[in-house]
Amino acid sequence: MAASGLNRTQDNVESSSDAHGSAAKRSKLEQAKADFCGLDLAPRLADLGRAGWDSLDEATLTIHLKWLGIFFRPVTPGRFMVRLRLPNGLIRAPQLEVLADAVDRCGEHGSADFTTRQNIQLRGLVLEDMAPLLNDLQSVGLTTRQSGHDNPRNVTGNPLAGLDPEEFIDTRPLVAAIQEALLGPEGPRNLPRKFNVAVGGAPDSFLLHNDLAFLPARQGDDLGFTVMVGGFFSAQRNELAIPLGLWLRPDQLVGFSLAVLRHFEHHGDRSVRNRSRLMYLIENLGLATYRDQVLEAWRDREGAAAQALPHDGSHLVCRAPRDICGVHPQKQEGLVWVGLHVPMGRLDAEAMAELARLATTYGRGELRISESQNVLIADVPQDQVAALLAEPLLRRFSPQPGPLQAEAVSCTGNSYCSFALIPTKATAQAVVETLEQRLELPHGVRSHWTGCPNACGQPYMGEIGLMGAKVRKEGQMVEAVKIFLGGEMGDDPRLGSLHEKGVALSDLPEVLETLLVERFGARRRATVV
Amino acid sequence: MSAQGSQPPHRSGVGMIPGLDSAPLPQPLPQQVPPPGSAERWPWLQHLRRQPPFALEPWLEAIESERLQLQLDLLVALAPRLDDAATERLLAWWFASTEVDTALLEPLSQRRTAGSARLLRQALERQPSPEQQELVLPLLGHQRQPADFPLLAGHALDPQPAAVRRAALEGLCRGLSAWPAPALRRILAQLAEDLDPRLAAAAVDTLARVPAARPALLALRRRPLAAPVAQRLERRLKALRAAPLLLVVHGRAGGTIPSALLELAQELERRRGAPVRLQALTAASLPDPAALASGPGQPPLTLVPLFLLPGGHVRHDLPAIAAHWRRQGPLRRLPFLGAWPAWQRALAAEVAALAPAPVRLLHHPLEGPLPGRFLAHLERISGARVQAAPYSSDQLDSLMQSLAGPAIPLALAANRLTDTLKDRLGPPLLARERCYAVLLTHLEALP
Repeated sequence: MAASGLNRTQDNVESSSDAHGSAAKRSKLEQAKADFCGLDLAPRLADLGRAGWDSLDEATLTIHLKWLGIFFRPVTPGRFMVRLRLPNGLIRAPQLEVLADAVDRCGEHGSADFTTRQNIQLRGLVLEDMAPLLNDLQSVGLTTRQSGHDNPRNVTGNPLAGLDPEEFIDTRPLVAAIQEALLGPEGPRNLPRKFNVAVGGAPDSFLLHNDLAFLPARQGDDLGFTVMVGGFFSAQRNELAIPLGLWLRPDQLVGFSLAVLRHFEHHGDRSVRNRSRLMYLIENLGLATYRDQVLEAWRDREGAAAQALPHDGSHLVCRAPRDICGVHPQKQEGLVWVGLHVPMGRLDAEAMAELARLATTYGRGELRISESQNVLIADVPQDQVAALLAEPLLRRFSPQPGPLQAEAVSCTGNSYCSFALIPTKATAQAVVETLEQRLELPHGVRSHWTGCPNACGQPYMGEIGLMGAKVRKEGQMVEAVKIFLGGEMGDDPRLGSLHEKGVALSDLPEVLETLLVERFGARRRATVV
Repeated sequence: MSAQGSQPPHRSGVGMIPGLDSAPLPQPLPQQVPPPGSAERWPWLQHLRRQPPFALEPWLEAIESERLQLQLDLLVALAPRLDDAATERLLAWWFASTEVDTALLEPLSQRRTAGSARLLRQALERQPSPEQQELVLPLLGHQRQPADFPLLAGHALDPQPAAVRRAALEGLCRGLSAWPAPALRRILAQLAEDLDPRLAAAAVDTLARVPAARPALLALRRRPLAAPVAQRLERRLKALRAAPLLLVVHGRAGGTIPSALLELAQELERRRGAPVRLQALTAASLPDPAALASGPGQPPLTLVPLFLLPGGHVRHDLPAIAAHWRRQGPLRRLPFLGAWPAWQRALAAEVAALAPAPVRLLHHPLEGPLPGRFLAHLERISGARVQAAPYSSDQLDSLMQSLAGPAIPLALAANRLTDTLKDRLGPPLLARERCYAVLLTHLEALP
C-alpha cells in the first residue's frame, strides 16, 4: 500500500506540473513541493532522528516535514512542534495519555495547545522524538498527517455532535469520512495553499471562515447541507464563505469534498502565494463557472450519482456558538457533558493526563475540543457530576469561567511564533483576569486575540478582536494591539472592523474597560478586589 | 426544536487590506522599510519575504552600520535569504553590539555553520554573564559540532548557577545525536542524581532519547534519585517498551523445563514488563504466538538461544525455529548464549574462583570442526580445559574416576550430568550467583 501511495504522490506532482506550467515558472516553494512529497519522509524519520536536523536541507526542514505534521520553529530552534488531526475535535482518554507522555518527556520545554480548529499542537519535541511518537500515535489511532502547510487542515464539526439535544445531524461520521477520504489514496497531496473544511450540525455551527463549509439546510422535508465556499482570513484579505448554490445529501459530502479539493489542487493559482486561497480561484473563474467546473469534476469522479440540487444558500444556523462550559444535559437521558474552560487553550503534561483520567473515571473516556479552545468531558452520569466538580483540576479548568474568560481565544503568540508581535496568550489571560476583577458583565463577550495580521486567532470573528502591533509611546516603541469590533457569528454574520489602530498593552485594560462599559453593558464593581 | 432559516450572509467585513501590492519591488532597499510602529511595516515586510532574490549587501551594511535597526520582524523577513556568510556576519554584529534585542539571537543562530559555532563558542570564552550563557549554551548545542561536547558537558556538570547548567543540558539535548553516546549516557546518568530537581528531571528525559536508552535508564533505577525524578524515570521506562522474548532451551525429556529456567523467565517478565516465553526443543508444542506479538512501532520479538555451545541444535534446529517465528512477524535473533562475551567473562570468573587447581569444563559431546574451534577458544579465554562428558551412566562413572581436580558443568540448568554428578560438580550455571546475575542483567537490558 505504501508503494501505491508513493505512486499517487508522483502522479499528483506531475499533474500539478501539467496544470501549472513548466518547472521553470515555479516559485522556489512550489518547486520544493513538486520535488517530492513530505509524506515520503515517514519511513526515514528514525534515521533522520539519528542523523540530526542538520542532515536535512532547508526545504525538507521547513516545508516537507509539515506533511507529517512536524514544524521546525525558528523561535525555538531544535525544539519542534507537532500538530495532530482530531476530526470533529474528538479525542479519547488513551489517546490523550499518549500526548501527555510526549509533552511530559519534554520537561519544562513541553506544552500543548488546543487550537481554534478543535485540534491539538504539541511543543518542545526534538527530532529524535518523532519516530517513536508517530508510532505511538498510530498505535492509538491518531495521526499528524498533512496537518500543516498546503494541505487540507483538520476537519471540524459540531463539538457537541451526538450529545446535543439541539443538533440537526450528528457531524462525527461525516467529518471522519471526509478526513479519511482526504488522507486516502484519492486525496490531494499538493494543494496550492492550505484548505479548511467544516461540517455544521447545530443551530450554532458558525463555519463561514472555512474554504468549504457544509451548513445544515432543508430541501423540502429532507435534511442535508447547503454548500458554502471561499471563507478565509489572512494578512491580506478576510472573507466569509458564500453560498455555492448547491444542496447535498449527507452521503454526498465525502465525494463532493474530494472533487472540490482535487479541483483546487489542479486549478488553484500557484503563481502568487498570497492570492492562492480558494476565494481567489472562485473570483477568477466567476461563481457560476466555478460551480460548473466542480460539478463536472465530481461527475468525472463519481458518475451519475454526482447530482446536487440547486439551493439558495439559506440554512439552519442562526446563532453564535454556545459557550460549552458548565454542566449540560445530553440528548441521552441521565447523562450530561461537563465543559471546562482551558485558559487560552494552553496545557501541560500533568493537566493532559489528569483530563484523561477524569474522562475515564467519570465518563466513558471521551473528550471534545471546541473552537473556543475549551474541552468537554462527555457521557457523565448525573450522579457523578458532584464528584467530578470536586476534582482539583477543575479549580484550574473551571466549568464556570468568567464571562470574558469563557470565550477568549488566542493564537500562540511570540513565545513560539516569529510573526507574532506580542505575547498573545499571556497578555490575553492577564487582561481578561484584570477586567473580570473590575467589571460585572451581563453576558459573555467573545474576544479573539492574535499576534499579527496573519489572524490565526481569528480577530475578525470576535465581538472584540485584538491584533498584535507596535506603537510609539512616550518616545519608546512598545507592544500594542489594534482593536476590532463588531464580529458577529449569529444569524447575520459579519466580520469585525477596525476600531483602534494602536493601543499600548499598558493602556489596554483601561481602554477595554471603557469599551465593555459603553458597548457591552458592563458595570464597574463597587470595590476592586 | 425550532430553527430560523438564515439568508445568505453578507460578504462584509475587512475584505482587501490596502498597502499590499503583489508586484515585485525592483530592488528592495533598507531605507524603504517602514519604521517600527508604522501601519505599513508588517505588510511591507511580508511583501519583502515574497520577493524574488535581491542583493543582500546593502541590507547587511545598513544593519552593521546601524543605519537600519534590526528588529525581530525584519529579521524574520530576511532570514530565508541569509546564506552562511550573511548569517555569520549578523551574528558577529550581534555579539559586537552593546544594545541589541536578545530575541534576535535564536533566529540568527538557527543555521548550522562552523563560523556560527565559533562565534557562540568565543562568546562563552569571554565569560559572559549567567544570563548571556543561558542564551548561548542551547544555541551552541543546536550547532551540533562534536568538538563542543566537552564544553557543554562541563557547563552542565560544573558547580555554577543552576540556570546555566540547565541551559548547557538543553544544549546537549538539542545536539543529541552529534555527541558520543557512551560519554553522553555517563554524564546524563550523573546529572540525573543532581540536587537540582529540574536539572535531574531534564537529564532523565534526555537520557531516554539516547539510542539504547533502556539499559541506562534501568541502571538509574538502582541510584538514589529524588522522588519526582524517580517517578519521571518510571514514566520514561514505561514508554520504552521492551520486546517480547523467546528463550529457546533444550529442555528435558517430554518437554519438561527445569524450574531454574522457569523462574528466570518469570523474573525477566516482571522486570521487563513484556512477555517472556520458553520454548524447549524436547517439547511437542510451541508457545502461543499471540502472547509474543508486538504491536506497530514496538520492538520485534527477540529470539534468545540459551545454548552454550555451537552444536547441532544451534546449527540446525535454531534456523528452523527462527524461520517459524519469522513467519509470525518481525524477529530479532541473537547469537547463542555461549558466544556472548559477557557470558564468557562470567565463565572465566567462575573458573578463576576455583584456581589454582586446574579446572575442567564438562560439555556435551560435539562433532565437527566448528565446535572444536569454539572449544579451543573457550579454553583460551576461560583458562580451563574442556572435556566432553558422555551422558550414559557407566561412562559417567569412569569420568568421575578420571577427574583429578575441580570441574564445572557447561549446563545452564539441571540435566542428567548435573543430576548424576551433583556432589562432584556443584550446581549448574544458573544456580551460580555470578552466572545468574550476568544472564539476568543482560536479558533485562535487551531492547
